[in-house]
Amino acid sequence: MDRAFRRRLELRFGDLLSGPIRQRHDETEIRIAPADVPEVMRTLHDDPAFRFEFLADLCGIDTGRTMQVAYHLWSETTPDWLRVIADGLSRDEPRVPSVTFLWKGAEWMEREAYDMFGIVFEGNRDLRRIYMPPDYRSFPLRKDFFIADDAARSPGAGVRPMERTHVPANAAPGGVVRHSKVD
Amino acid sequence: MPTRHEPAAPYEIPAHPSADDPRVTLEEQLGVFEPIPPYPPRTEREAEFYTLRDGEMFINMGPQHPSTHGVLRVVLKLNGEQVVDLDPVLGYLHRGVEKLCENADFHQAICYMDPLEYVSSLFCEWPAVIAFEKLLDVQVPRRAEYIRVLSTELNRVASHALFMGWMALDLGGLTPILYSFIERDEIVEMLAALTGQRMLFNYFRIGGVNGDLNHEFMSRLGDWMSRATEQIEANLTLLNENEIFVRRMRGLGVLDRETALRMAVSGPNLRASGVPFDVRRAHPYSVFPELEFDIPTRQEGDCLARYLLRMDEIRQSLRIIDQCLHEMPDGPVMARVPRLLRARPGRAFAAVEGPRGLYGVHAISDGTDQPFRMRIHDPSFVNLQLVPLLMPGNLVADTMAIMASLDPIMGGIDK
Repeated sequence: MDRAFRRRLELRFGDLLSGPIRQRHDETEIRIAPADVPEVMRTLHDDPAFRFEFLADLCGIDTGRTMQVAYHLWSETTPDWLRVIADGLSRDEPRVPSVTFLWKGAEWMEREAYDMFGIVFEGNRDLRRIYMPPDYRSFPLRKDFFIADDAARSPGAGVRPMERTHVPANAAPGGVVRHSKVD
Repeated sequence: MPTRHEPAAPYEIPAHPSADDPRVTLEEQLGVFEPIPPYPPRTEREAEFYTLRDGEMFINMGPQHPSTHGVLRVVLKLNGEQVVDLDPVLGYLHRGVEKLCENADFHQAICYMDPLEYVSSLFCEWPAVIAFEKLLDVQVPRRAEYIRVLSTELNRVASHALFMGWMALDLGGLTPILYSFIERDEIVEMLAALTGQRMLFNYFRIGGVNGDLNHEFMSRLGDWMSRATEQIEANLTLLNENEIFVRRMRGLGVLDRETALRMAVSGPNLRASGVPFDVRRAHPYSVFPELEFDIPTRQEGDCLARYLLRMDEIRQSLRIIDQCLHEMPDGPVMARVPRLLRARPGRAFAAVEGPRGLYGVHAISDGTDQPFRMRIHDPSFVNLQLVPLLMPGNLVADTMAIMASLDPIMGGIDK
């Protein structure tokens, strides 16, 4: 945990942060609003005090209540991984600005997040499905998508025919998922 | 009663024509992999790519092409023999590992990691195991860490040795792959003695490794180490001093430093462009801070540099293996970890340096015995994005060379 890095982040992004900075093991986590992604990322990338040149990962997350996009960045100015979470995307219409203007290599990772969660990255010029066929209609990694043979979760495992386990017994009536403590 | 000269009933095209039907012409069957999508383009890039200018044509390379290293389809837009542009089509090997992991518990999720990269399976297990250990606050015994480093460096040598053979094979040279398979097979047999499996090892556990070093592994390793350096150097002279190979690879597919960083590329492809980024040094994990080794870097950024850099890495791996054997401490190889694990809610990210770059896992726990979300970052997936960037302007025959020099594995790309 890099305490000095935490203070630097607080000083620089004080009012842009939408949640507390969390630190655990060798990771630092900040949360921002989706609209602030270009500004924060550009600062992290260009500011000589941060110099986050390397994008280690970009992924979508469905917490069951909201959608998030998590970016993992590396810089030689800190021994920690920096996780930036664009928090609070609506599950019905998740939209977030693209970071392809900084890292063109994020293009496919954003395509993957679109393919799996339906998150629309505004500014990505090639946002189409990447794994699933182009005429596929749903988003497989969303929490309201159940794999048909969900034997691990089904209380009637091995009893009910496969078609009927399509919606597991512990699914909430509204369609969304198991109770989640993830925020 | 029908007369003899009555014309036959008109032929109705069946809804699902079969290839066995002699009335179905060959042209219809070839249309299965029609490169032009049967729908209006959905994105700017797709519209630009699927518009043909004068003299241009589309050709599908794959999905069963031998030099795509898996099941990859590349739509090439050609002008004569020159590649104008290309569009990789993924998903032929997609298994949904991330979703499967969400429905498995922490122990079970590890075994889904192996088949991701069948050439270097241990590197896929490692970040998952580290991420879970972070979530569960497990401390790994030092001997287990050394065994992990030892086995993964062996795996790295096997992977890079195989790369050498593949690279030459894609260029049309048949001999090196025979030698590289000798190397790989010795290491694979060694790891089979250690882990019990030849390719999909499933060796790492949360809190350590599955078994201690055994006699068969040690005797095979000692035997191999006594002649490894000589043997590998001898293999390398096959290509390093081959004028056809060197002149073909030099200056081909040049990737400069800024573009490499902008493309989020990692691993040897990045270091061949002059960026000394190696997770083992940039963000040290396991016992790497205690080990001595160099990070080879090259400035040219062409196919030859990427090839030579991997060969340099083999030499560094041998150094690390040697140190591991000398400094291996005694002690247990597993921490005391319960069978049923419940992590408290939280998030963890772990990354390791594999033979293709940064393998990362972002695991999220919601307090149950299963990961709530398991993100797998595979370096080949990101590195393959270089293909549309480096190919245009080159000849069709060079597409194989450039793709081989990036060393993608489709199992990891289509996770």
